[in-house]
Amino acid sequence: MHTTSIRQMRMEDLQGMQACNLFNLPENYTLRYYLYHALTWPSLSYVAEARNLIYWQDHKGRIVGYILAKMDEETPEGGEPHGHVTSISVLRSYRRLGIAKKLMLQSQFGLFEFIPPIIPPTHMSKAMASVYRASCVSLHVRKSNRAALSLYRDTLGFSVQDVEKKYYADGEDAYSMRLSLQV
Amino acid sequence: MSDIPAKRALPSKESGLFKELLTLYETRQLKKGLKTADQILKKFPEHGETMCMKGLVYTHMGRREEGIELVRKGVRNDLTSHICWHVYGLIHKGEKNYEEALKCYTQALRFDKENLNILRDAAHLQTQLRIYDGLVETRYTLLKTRPNLRQHWVALAVAYHLNGNLTEAKKILEQYELALKNVPDYDVEHSETILYHVRLLEDLGEHTEALSMLDVNAKSRAIVDRTAIMEIRARLLSKLGSEEAEHAWRVLVEHNPECYDYYRGYLANSKLSFDTSDDNASRALPILEEFSTQLPRATAPRRLSLSIASGERFKQLIEPYILSGLKKGIPSLFSDIKSLYQDTFKQQAIEEVSTKALETFKSSSEPDVEPTSYLWTLYFLAQHHSYLGRHAQALQFLDDAISHTPTLPELHMLRGRVLKRAGDPLGAARCLEDARLLDGQDRFLNTKSAKYRLRAGMVEEASALFGLFTKKDAPSPGQDLEDMQSLFYLTEEADAHNRNGHLGPALKKYIAVSKVFDEVEDDQYDFHGYSLRKFNMNIYLNLLTWEDRLRSHPAYVKAALAASKIFVAVNDDPALASTATTSGQLTDAQKKAKKKAKKAAQKVQEEAKKTAPTNNNEDKGLEAPAKDDDPDGSKLLQCSDPLERAAKLLKPLMTLADSNIDVWLAIYDVSSRRKKYLQAAKALSQAATLDSEHPQLHVRRIQFRQLVSSLPPETQGAALLSEIASRLLPDQVSIEVFNSQYLQSHSEDSAAVLAVANVLVALKSPLDQVEETLFTAFNASLDIKTALAIVDFLMTIKSPRADSFRMRCSEQFSLSTVFQTPEELAPLRLLVVAGQQLDADGDKPVDL
Repeated sequence: MHTTSIRQMRMEDLQGMQACNLFNLPENYTLRYYLYHALTWPSLSYVAEARNLIYWQDHKGRIVGYILAKMDEETPEGGEPHGHVTSISVLRSYRRLGIAKKLMLQSQFGLFEFIPPIIPPTHMSKAMASVYRASCVSLHVRKSNRAALSLYRDTLGFSVQDVEKKYYADGEDAYSMRLSLQV
Repeated sequence: MSDIPAKRALPSKESGLFKELLTLYETRQLKKGLKTADQILKKFPEHGETMCMKGLVYTHMGRREEGIELVRKGVRNDLTSHICWHVYGLIHKGEKNYEEALKCYTQALRFDKENLNILRDAAHLQTQLRIYDGLVETRYTLLKTRPNLRQHWVALAVAYHLNGNLTEAKKILEQYELALKNVPDYDVEHSETILYHVRLLEDLGEHTEALSMLDVNAKSRAIVDRTAIMEIRARLLSKLGSEEAEHAWRVLVEHNPECYDYYRGYLANSKLSFDTSDDNASRALPILEEFSTQLPRATAPRRLSLSIASGERFKQLIEPYILSGLKKGIPSLFSDIKSLYQDTFKQQAIEEVSTKALETFKSSSEPDVEPTSYLWTLYFLAQHHSYLGRHAQALQFLDDAISHTPTLPELHMLRGRVLKRAGDPLGAARCLEDARLLDGQDRFLNTKSAKYRLRAGMVEEASALFGLFTKKDAPSPGQDLEDMQSLFYLTEEADAHNRNGHLGPALKKYIAVSKVFDEVEDDQYDFHGYSLRKFNMNIYLNLLTWEDRLRSHPAYVKAALAASKIFVAVNDDPALASTATTSGQLTDAQKKAKKKAKKAAQKVQEEAKKTAPTNNNEDKGLEAPAKDDDPDGSKLLQCSDPLERAAKLLKPLMTLADSNIDVWLAIYDVSSRRKKYLQAAKALSQAATLDSEHPQLHVRRIQFRQLVSSLPPETQGAALLSEIASRLLPDQVSIEVFNSQYLQSHSEDSAAVLAVANVLVALKSPLDQVEETLFTAFNASLDIKTALAIVDFLMTIKSPRADSFRMRCSEQFSLSTVFQTPEELAPLRLLVVAGQQLDADGDKPVDL
């Protein structure tokens, strides 16, 4: 019964997202990487913002969670394009509110929109619903990160696709996880 | 070909070689390029274009200085070659010297008017420098040269837009759309172009046209971004006062029921807001309640209702809200509702509900009440009391909670926060370490613990913690955090050094904050081309607006103010620069840690060198590599132009943080010392309009009066300066009287008392008068920060009563340790890192 505002990322959120990431996770990026996401797929990233409602105009909120997402750029010939979650996290002090799930769902809505049809346009009218759900979204997670693993698998319905050996800079393996967006 | 100057013309063999050289450079085959250049230069050693190309190749290979020198010579040898100027422009651009780069490109364009590469780069430079009229011209030339390139059309529209000519931007877009053929379905680029067109129409106030364009293209699915369609539609309908608007906002709320902006839009459409006034509340509440019923899983409308409701209605709403949060064990429940505390009625209601809940949960045997509800209620009440300054009560609740469940990190974190507020940063750091040890895998706990160590002045000890999560191959944990642009880390460590009196390292880190903002400003450069190629004009325009206001970020404001204070201090007392660096003041342990860090850094560098050749990349790029020959900031502190540097840091704040009084006070401090008296006077006048009774303004009013009366009458603008000075402090009032009047009217404000004492010292008043004044600061307003400032001030003026003031503070802030002597604090510091905790008796350390 508690709330922070969930909304699409804006330019002025990027530094807050970066700060949130640095506070929470060992995989960090310079702002340039956030800019790259924002300016290429502006509608895929979302933030959770805690803000003071009384001074709505004067006060900037604080970014307490975010999802940074993209489309995979290398689509194999004839293959389906798919989305990828570059990073998602919520500050420890804002957990148990279902924020990660809400962020993920909003971002996935954006993903549907940008997935071009794989069915020829002539067959479009009937296939509309399935067209949007024609592909999937993927992400990586540290093998040791049980909390995140359970969020992705149990709450969000992702399944483990593969183990990528030494995916992280410190040599840890990653699970490559995948969620189908098809109905 | 006849107009090629003789000194540029090459015989056919060399001419071929030169073309080869250009290709080799383009494909970054640098070694081969160098050979080819040398072949030409062997026969024509003064050939300008070849010299420039060779210099460019050198620069890419890491031989910067030689390279740049060669380019300079090359340009001199052939001043009318577009190649020479282009190369020179590239070199400047590599050094982020955009002004000089643009000058070179402009020269290059004089000799090759339609060179696409040069035109494009010039456009990017003009955008970076915000020279929008020039940008329009360049974009126009580009379009004229290559009208078949689609992006040239939108690029020109965007240029007009940036230059403030929306009508022309719209026209260009219309022409572009007319010429457009065969747009594929679901084309994101086309979708973005139409959205940009709609945005232009909206900005032009043509709301009806904007709406119909949006609707037509939404229906035909030419616009693929459905969230954008819904948002723009609702906004336009509201602007048009349409009856459909309400429904459009409702659609948005249903699409994302946790987005405050949508509720705000819905309410604003009916001329309502989140305001608490009765009139607003009576109409807005039923709407939010309807949403609460209709969207039972949404939490936003319930929370928003709490802000708007008052009296009995509030009581009815708050009880289920709090109870549900406590039962679910939501850690952020308190921080969610603390903004309601501005209203004491609400504050009391919350206290009543949560106190009652504690009783219920404590004795409840109901099956649906979990023991954790009791725990989270204790946690909530501790936050409640701590927020209201009742530290002892807060600690009592936490003791109960921790004995109930000793392994919940949140409890230890909160205990640390309570102690921090009570003035015991060391005890606080110890609690945060307790929290961290409960879950060593959690970076959040790690960061918090390190932060608390910094707050306690333990810089090296904090670094050790940061290092558990930073990259192992970084020269130091701090360097990794700096590379990752952690503003949080940089400001916290800078503040810690500053409080410890280590001005060099503090300044160094504040400047590092400013450098992060330089980097982010530079980052936009590549997007001037990229975004238009991708047709992402909408977000790109937002990028430019945001970059223009970049330095309004609180971290920049804070760092600029603190750095400027240090620069002013070393300007006033250059001796500070030689004594305030770390070396003289390091403890043995710190020295050891530093040595160790240095050794580790060396090792990393050696290893990096070893692995470097395997990277097999001979291209080092054009950007100057960052070198650090001043690791502890001592050179920075001893710079010859501290005031100029301070002025440069503060300059952006004059427009970006003009409602912050500290900015104007800092500008005054710097300008008055730079003898920019008029600027100083204006800064004080600005400060006076923001808060005319501010203690620090009081001190400066008097300084300024003294300053103006000491100026020789022939000083430029002397009459105006006197006029402003007398407006700030009437001529007929003496400084002494002004000061004592100020004290009289602000005797209950301890910060004002300190300001008055400051003036007394400046007026060379007797020491006992200064002391008497300062001892009146023991009143309700005295907080720990001001008390510490007074202790510092008493020490600076070598008052024998400093100790007695300090001890009285220790009594008044009974839980605090900040007023203790370093000797008293030493054992407490050891406890922070020992991973140990005092037991209940407070004297025997026990292992965790």
